[in-house]
Amino acid sequence: MNKIRVIARIDVKNEFAIKGIHLEGLRKVGNPNEMALDYYNNGIDEIVFMDAVAAYYDRNSLSELIQRACADVFIPITVGGGIRTIDDIKNALKSGADKVAINTKAVQDPDFISQSSKIFGSQCIVSSIEAKAIGENKWEVYTDNGREPTGKDVLEWAKDVEKLGAGEIMLTSIDKEGTKRGFDIRLYQNVATSVLIPVIASGGMGQGDDAVQLIKNVNIDAVAVASILHYKLESIQKIKNTLIENQIKVRL
Amino acid sequence: MMIAVIDYGIGNVRSILSAFENQGANVFLTRDKNKILESDGVILPGVGAFSHGMDSLNKHGLVDIIKEYVESNKPFMGICLGMQMLFEESEEFGVTKGLGLISGKVVKLPTKDSQNEKLPHVSWNELNSGKIQWPNTVLENIKEGSDMYFVHSFVAQPNNESNVLSTTEYSGYNFCSSVKSGNIYGCQFHPEKSGKIGLKIVKNFIRMCKE
Amino acid sequence: MSDKLEAYYGLPNEVMFCKKCVISNQRPSSTIEFKNEKGEKKKVINFNEECICSACVYHAEKETGIDWGDRDGKLRELLAKFRSNDGSYDVIVPGSGGKDSAFTAHILKYKYGMNPLTVTWAPHLYTDIGWKNMQEWMHTGGLDNILYTPNGILHKEMTKNAFHNLLHPFQPFIVGQRIIGPAMAKKFGVKLVMYGENQAEYGNSIEENTNPIMDMDFFSSDDALSMKFGGVSMQEYIDTGRYSKDDFSPYIAPEKQDLIDAGVEVHYLGYYLKWDPQECYYYSVDNTGFQANSVRTEGTYSKYSSIDDKIDPFHYLTTLIKFGIGRCTYDAAQEVRNDKITRGEGAYLVEKYDAEFPNIYFKEFLEYIDTTKDQFWETIDKHRSPHIWKKVNGEWMLRHTVSKTGTDD
Repeated sequence: MNKIRVIARIDVKNEFAIKGIHLEGLRKVGNPNEMALDYYNNGIDEIVFMDAVAAYYDRNSLSELIQRACADVFIPITVGGGIRTIDDIKNALKSGADKVAINTKAVQDPDFISQSSKIFGSQCIVSSIEAKAIGENKWEVYTDNGREPTGKDVLEWAKDVEKLGAGEIMLTSIDKEGTKRGFDIRLYQNVATSVLIPVIASGGMGQGDDAVQLIKNVNIDAVAVASILHYKLESIQKIKNTLIENQIKVRL
Repeated sequence: MMIAVIDYGIGNVRSILSAFENQGANVFLTRDKNKILESDGVILPGVGAFSHGMDSLNKHGLVDIIKEYVESNKPFMGICLGMQMLFEESEEFGVTKGLGLISGKVVKLPTKDSQNEKLPHVSWNELNSGKIQWPNTVLENIKEGSDMYFVHSFVAQPNNESNVLSTTEYSGYNFCSSVKSGNIYGCQFHPEKSGKIGLKIVKNFIRMCKE
Repeated sequence: MSDKLEAYYGLPNEVMFCKKCVISNQRPSSTIEFKNEKGEKKKVINFNEECICSACVYHAEKETGIDWGDRDGKLRELLAKFRSNDGSYDVIVPGSGGKDSAFTAHILKYKYGMNPLTVTWAPHLYTDIGWKNMQEWMHTGGLDNILYTPNGILHKEMTKNAFHNLLHPFQPFIVGQRIIGPAMAKKFGVKLVMYGENQAEYGNSIEENTNPIMDMDFFSSDDALSMKFGGVSMQEYIDTGRYSKDDFSPYIAPEKQDLIDAGVEVHYLGYYLKWDPQECYYYSVDNTGFQANSVRTEGTYSKYSSIDDKIDPFHYLTTLIKFGIGRCTYDAAQEVRNDKITRGEGAYLVEKYDAEFPNIYFKEFLEYIDTTKDQFWETIDKHRSPHIWKKVNGEWMLRHTVSKTGTDD
């Protein structure tokens, strides 16, 4: 098994990093560039910047942020939120991002994934899926930062995006995200067994043990964490130590 | 002392430029023949499809420029797709010719036929020594087993073991993660994305350019 | 120059928008609901000479001019005065279990050591998420609650009348909501009633913010029969032969003197603590099992505000019709003041969501108020003030919007 990647997810609004619960709320938690640098210096494996309000304002405005981040953060950077056109992707990559995360646009126009993965390569294209539980082992796909239901089934959609050419899936549980109460393990069990591309689990991590529980039960490739770092509940070292103590391989 | 990063429209060049600047190099992006030939070191970046990369190099007349530069024996490093293109050919989407600077071909990463092994290989993974000792190479002072960042579905298979600088294991298969042929280097991983250890590799390359 | 257009409800003729937030000068202040008459002149939010609304002025002061440490001290003094030591309830917290009341009750109990009884004046029609949050308030929040549901037959009829006569379907609800705190206090022999935020946060006269005790006129009436519900007096309801005075007990405010004699005091937690509705959300998720709705609320951009009553969206629809401002304007104005979003962002959101028609519960609403679709639209259109609305090619459009995209902008 691969080494598990521990990824810091930083939601951004204008010049602030924010943290919501259930993808709601704009509480400011710091300066995104400072936070990214801090996490990089402390051993995080990757950074994801999500423009949390791109859906509201029909814009995306993270290029300046990415440029600054690239100047001193030398680990993979993914940017998402409001990626709607081939130009948006081009600009994001030109600014220094390695990957882009796409949700709403892909649901509206699935061909966008195949188009963009052909042009930029699958490794650049992360399909961001927001999942809301609607029954036993059933989840619905949401768009617009967890606001608009789509009637699509998460499992089916995950398989679709893989076929369309996405390189990875970042799967966020709307029910768990921001709650610090652990991952929706069933969600990841269902999806990770249905696709062959890497899956990043996002949403719910409150302590290192949450990741242990998830990884012991699911063949997940990475965990994206936010509250635990932004609220300084545990350090990156502590999280990684907990994983190592439980025989889970990570980058040191 | 100038280091040129080849501009053929592909690859995350900004990160490469940042990484080299961060380590104190005078680095610039170019596809100009003279500037490339006059540089003290050249980087070939690249991500994505081999055929797309080669098409773009051909379109900009860069294949001959690279070959000419390499004859000078000054340091040259291909990163990710840049490393793959050093070889003779790739089997991605049918057979495509590469730069042919190192003997060997590029194939899909062999994975065990099991649900656990996913492609692309996206992860931090360890460098293990190949045939070549690491002192006096770009991997000087790098600890054996260091984690570097990989994201690829294809790998190079050098015909000569003596070109293998490091190997890495994925899905039960040891693939060549970096190569050396004289002063030509190739890294399948991304040194500019591999944290502080990656920056050490960048620094090593810069030092070679000075010599 | 064009003729001055008629302005209904005595609203200011010229429509202006606050330069700091997105609210307009058409926003009404709180009224004494049970005196609410058809056609009465509305008191509106004040705009100063710089075209800044009084809520924004208050907020500026809130940031710099108030010593919150001092206010916290005052709160502790107040609570010490009323805190029971024999296990009895010592504070009534009215609320629905939404984020604001969840925060208020929980913090009073678990931080300030009070013994609250939460009292809920039932929403007309609980949404699933509203009911769930209400239950969680008890089960996870660890609080006691009395849910008071008035006679649905009368409540529906009042709401229907309120819709057609005042285009204010929430009026009867608000009457009960304002009364229940003090009424329950009196019944339980509890002296302190604590609401969450002060309506002055939204632009009622500034003086209210410095006086935490609500104006007693809001909830007492010395002549119950003259009370109006949906523009119809109690006597008129009784005259129909379908109701007796008995049916009105949930709506009859306690006698002012009785309350004074019983020592009942009504306070706002928002006077003592720096109020931030969004922080109430975070707090209630962490402490009382609150969950945001899964979908965006119609007419606005958020998922967590005022989500417990199916009729709620129609309250905001009517403010849009009467005053030209919908739910998004209210939400955005508040978030601009609390520094969550910029004015430009607020304006963009208003343009995007303010006029969104609340489809999800439309059918249920029509059934609740026993009205046909045609009757609904007839009433709606009757209440469009000419100085706010203009009919263009058969479609009603706003003359003025905060983004200056109105027909007359």
